[in-house]
Amino acid sequence: MPSATLLGQALISGVLAGGMYGLLALGLSLSWGLLRLVNLSHFALAFLAAYLTYELGTNYHVAPWWSAMLIVPAMFAMGLAQHWIFDKFKVNELASLLITFSFAIILEVAIQLYWTADYRRYETHYSTMSFKVGPFYIPVLELILCLVAGVLAWGTWLWLRKTYVGKALRAAAEDADIAAAYGVDHKKLAYLLSGMGAAYAGIAGTFIALIATLAPAQIWTWLGVVFAVVIIGRLGNPLGALFAGMLIGASESIAMAVLSPAWAPVVSFSLLIVILLWDPEWL
Amino acid sequence: MADLLAIEGLSAGYGRAVVLSDVSLRLAEGEALAVLGRNGVGKTTLIDSIVGVTRRISGSILLGGRDIAALPPEQRAALGVGWVPQERNIFRSLSVEENITAVARPGPWSLQRVFDFFPRLKERRHQAGSSLSGGEQQMLAIGRALATNPRLLLLDEPTEGLAPIIVEELLRVLTALFRDEGLTGIIVEQQARKILPITHRALILERGQVVHAGASGELLADAAMLERHLGVTAG
Amino acid sequence: MTNRMGAWRRREILAGLAATAGMLAAPAIVRAAPSGKPVKIGGTLSLTGFLAQTAVIHKIASEIMVEEINVRNGFLGRPVEFVLLDDQSKPDVARSLYEKLITVDKVDLIQGPYATAPILAAMGVAQRYGKVIIQNSMGIPKMQTYERAFPATPFGSEPDKTYPNVILDAMASLPTPPKSMVVLTSKFPSAQFMALGMKEQAEKRGVKVLMYLEYESGNRDFGAIAARIKEANPDFLWVGSLGLESNQVLESLRKLDYAPKNHFHLYPAPGPLALSPDGNNALCSTFLEPAEPFMSRPGVARIAGEFKEKATKANLPYTTIDAQAAGMVSQWQMLEAAVNGSGSLDDEKIAAWLKKNRVTTIYGSLRFDGPFNHGDASQLIKQVQDKEWRVVWPKEFAAPGVALKGA
Ligand SMILES: Nc1ncnc2c1ncn2[C@@H]1O[C@H](COP(=O)(O)OP(=O)(O)O)[C@@H](O)[C@H]1O
Ligand SMILES: [Mg+2]
Repeated sequence: MPSATLLGQALISGVLAGGMYGLLALGLSLSWGLLRLVNLSHFALAFLAAYLTYELGTNYHVAPWWSAMLIVPAMFAMGLAQHWIFDKFKVNELASLLITFSFAIILEVAIQLYWTADYRRYETHYSTMSFKVGPFYIPVLELILCLVAGVLAWGTWLWLRKTYVGKALRAAAEDADIAAAYGVDHKKLAYLLSGMGAAYAGIAGTFIALIATLAPAQIWTWLGVVFAVVIIGRLGNPLGALFAGMLIGASESIAMAVLSPAWAPVVSFSLLIVILLWDPEWL
Repeated sequence: MADLLAIEGLSAGYGRAVVLSDVSLRLAEGEALAVLGRNGVGKTTLIDSIVGVTRRISGSILLGGRDIAALPPEQRAALGVGWVPQERNIFRSLSVEENITAVARPGPWSLQRVFDFFPRLKERRHQAGSSLSGGEQQMLAIGRALATNPRLLLLDEPTEGLAPIIVEELLRVLTALFRDEGLTGIIVEQQARKILPITHRALILERGQVVHAGASGELLADAAMLERHLGVTAG
Repeated sequence: MTNRMGAWRRREILAGLAATAGMLAAPAIVRAAPSGKPVKIGGTLSLTGFLAQTAVIHKIASEIMVEEINVRNGFLGRPVEFVLLDDQSKPDVARSLYEKLITVDKVDLIQGPYATAPILAAMGVAQRYGKVIIQNSMGIPKMQTYERAFPATPFGSEPDKTYPNVILDAMASLPTPPKSMVVLTSKFPSAQFMALGMKEQAEKRGVKVLMYLEYESGNRDFGAIAARIKEANPDFLWVGSLGLESNQVLESLRKLDYAPKNHFHLYPAPGPLALSPDGNNALCSTFLEPAEPFMSRPGVARIAGEFKEKATKANLPYTTIDAQAAGMVSQWQMLEAAVNGSGSLDDEKIAAWLKKNRVTTIYGSLRFDGPFNHGDASQLIKQVQDKEWRVVWPKEFAAPGVALKGA
C-alpha cells in the first residue's frame, strides 16, 4: 500500500497537471459548445504560441509574460482570421473537424520548416522550482498555471452568465435563428468567441513553452485527453472544463501511484465512459 | 397619423410552394390587428415574413417608412420588430431571467417591469427555461419580446394549447398591453370571439390571401362572415 | 444556394488536404555526379510525425554519405541517387511507400527506415520483392527474421542479455556499487524488451530490484511516478525511455527536490539530456561518440565535420554527430561495400556477399553471419559530464582523464 505522502504528492501533481488539460480544454469547449465548431487546430495554435515564446525568450531575451502580451493578441487575430474562413464557407460541425485538422497539419509543417523537427527547450531557472508544504512539494510554475486557468475559467463562466454578450452567445448556441430574430448578431459574437478561443490557446502556449520541451509532433500529445476533458466538463462550460481537467489529471496520477503507471490512459478514458453513461447532474 | 407598418404585395413561400400571395396591410401607431383564419392558410407565414425567417418572393414591408424586407432578422429586431413565435421557442438552457436579459434592449420595458407584469416569472426567475409549464412559457415568450422594447409586437397564436383558465389570464394580459398600454401589434388567433374585443381591426386570410379586412367590432357583429370564413358558430 | 455552398466547402477542404498531402509527399532527391545512368536507391524516413526529430539527423547523414559515395566511385561507377520519401512516422505509410518505390519508381535498391515499427513494415515489403534491407535501429534483433535484412548497428543477437551485463559491470566497478535499483520503462516494445532483460540480469547478479514500473508511451505527467521513485530511493535508476521521457522524469524528480543517485537512460534524446540541468552523470549506451578513439577511425573526422556544417545550416540545435547519425552512415557504408564487393546490383548477390564478408563501418569492423544476421555486440557506456557525453566504459574506450562517476 502506498504511503499517505506518496498519495498526497500524486494527488497534488495530478491536479496541477490537470490544470494544463483544463486550460487547453477551455478554448476548445467554448467554440465547440457555443459555435458548434470543433477546432482541432487549437493545439497547433497553442504550440505556435509556445514556439514564439521560446523564440522571443531564447533569441531576444524577452520574458515570457512580456511575450504573452504580444502573442496573445496576435493569437486573437489568428482566431478572427480563422473564423473568417468558417464564416465565409458556412462551415458546419463535421466540416470544421476536417478543415481545422488541415490547419493543424499546415501549422505543424510550418513550425517544422522554421524551427525544425528537433527538440526545443526554453530553459528558465523557474521551470522546475517548487516549494514545500508539510511533506509535499508544490511546483511553482504548474501552480501559477492552475491559478491562471482558474481565473480564466471563472472569468469566462461569469462572462457567459452575467453579460449581455455571454447570454446572447448561449442563446444563439441553443437556437441561432430564434436568437437572431430577437436581435442577437450571432455572426459578430462568433468572431469574438473564436478570437477568444485562440487567445486562450496563446495563454496555454506560454505555459507549454515553459513546462514542456517542444517538438512539432507534440501538437497531438494532448488531443485525446483534452477531448475527454471537454466532453466530461460539458461543451461550452468553462468551469466544467477546468474541473474535468483536474479530475482526469488527479485520477491518472493516483492510478500511476497506486497501480501500474501504464494504467493512466485507461483510467481517463474509462472515466469518460462512466461519466457519459452515468451522466450525473452535478457535472 | 403615419402607418407604422405597411405591407404591399407580399408573396412568400417555402421552396417552390407559394403560401402567401399578394398580401397588403397597414397598421397605424397604437393599433392592434387581429389576423384570423383556419389552420394552414398562411398566418404564421405572414408573421414570419415580417420577422424575416421565411423566404420572401416579392413585395415590400415598410416599418416606420423604411423597407425592411431585405434585411436579416437581427437588423429587423434592432429596428423594433418583436416576436412571440407560435412554438414559443424559449431558450431552454437559459434561466427565465436570462431568457429576458439575453435579448433585452433599453426602453420602458425593463426586466423589473416585465416581472411586475408577470409575477409568476419573477417567482421562477432562476429556474431553467425548460422547467416551465406551457402557460409560463407563453408568458416568458411575451415578456422576452417586450423586453426588446419593440415598436411592433407580433404574437402568433398565443392561446394555442393552453388550459382555459390560463387563456383567460393571457387575454387579460393582451387587453392590458393593447388597450391600456397602447402597443402596436398583430395577434394571430383562431378564437375570433376572444380576440376581436381586444383588437381594433381584423383581417381574415384564406389560402394565402386577404379575404376580409375591417374593424374588429363590425366583424364581431357579423356572424355570417365569421361562420363563412372561420367556421365559428354564433353564440 | 445550399448546393453551391456545399460544393465550395468540399473544394475548400479538398484544396487544404491536397496542399497538405503535396507538401508531405514531395520526394526530396539527393543527387550528384559520376557517369552513366544513376543507381536509384529508395527509402523513407519519418520526416514528419512523432519520430521527426531523429529523421532530420538521418537525412543529413544520408546526404553526406551519398555525396561521399559519388565523390568516390558511386555504385559500380554509376552515380547514386537517393529517393527519399516521408513515412510520417506511420508504419502503414512506410509500407505503401516502399511498395511504391519498388514497383512505381523502380528503384534499384532500398535503404531501411528508422525505428522498429516502420522497419518491420518496410521489411515485409522488401521480403515480398526479395530486396536487401539494411537498418540501424531495430532494438529487438530476433524480430529481424528475413534472411536479406541486415543490421548496421552492432547490437549483437541478444542485447537483452548482453547490454544489462555491460551496465552492471560498469556499476560494479564503482567504489560503492549499487545494491538496489528501480527499473522504469516505457511500454514501447523495444524499451520493454530491454527493461525485462535488465530486471532479470540484475536479480541474477544480486542487485535488488525494488520496483519495476511500466508507463504508456506518450505519458504526459511523470509527477506520480517521480514520487514513487523518490520514496523507493534506489541506488540505481534504470529508465527505459524514448526521446524526451528521460528529461521529463528527471524534471519531475527535481520538482520533488530529489536527484537520482546513479541513473541510466535507454534511448533518450541525447542533446536535450546532456544540456538539461538534471542531466549530470546520466548514463546511456552508445557505439560511437565524436571523441577519441573514434575520431581517428578512417573518414570519421571528415564526416563529423560535414555533419556539423549541415546540421548548423538546417538550424538544428544539437549539431554534433552521435551514435544515431552514425547508424545511417554505417547503413550506407555497408551498402557501398556490398555492391562494389559483389560487383552487382542484384539483391541475392549483395545479401550473399554481406553474409560472407566483414564491413569496416564507422562503428568499426562488423560481421553479419550470426543469428538473425547479427554479429558481435560492441556496446559502450557514455555519461554526461559537464554537459557533454563522454565514453566511460569499457575503460579502454574512455578518453584520457575521463572516468565513470558514481553517486
Ligand atoms: N417549413 C415549411 N415548409 C413547407 N411548407 C410549409 C412550411 N411551413 C408551413 N408550410 C405550409 O404553408 C402553409 C401555411 O402554413 P402556416 O403559415 O403555418 O399556416 P397557419 O399559421 O395559418 O396555420 C401550409 O400549407 C403549410 O403546410
Ligand atoms: Mg400558424
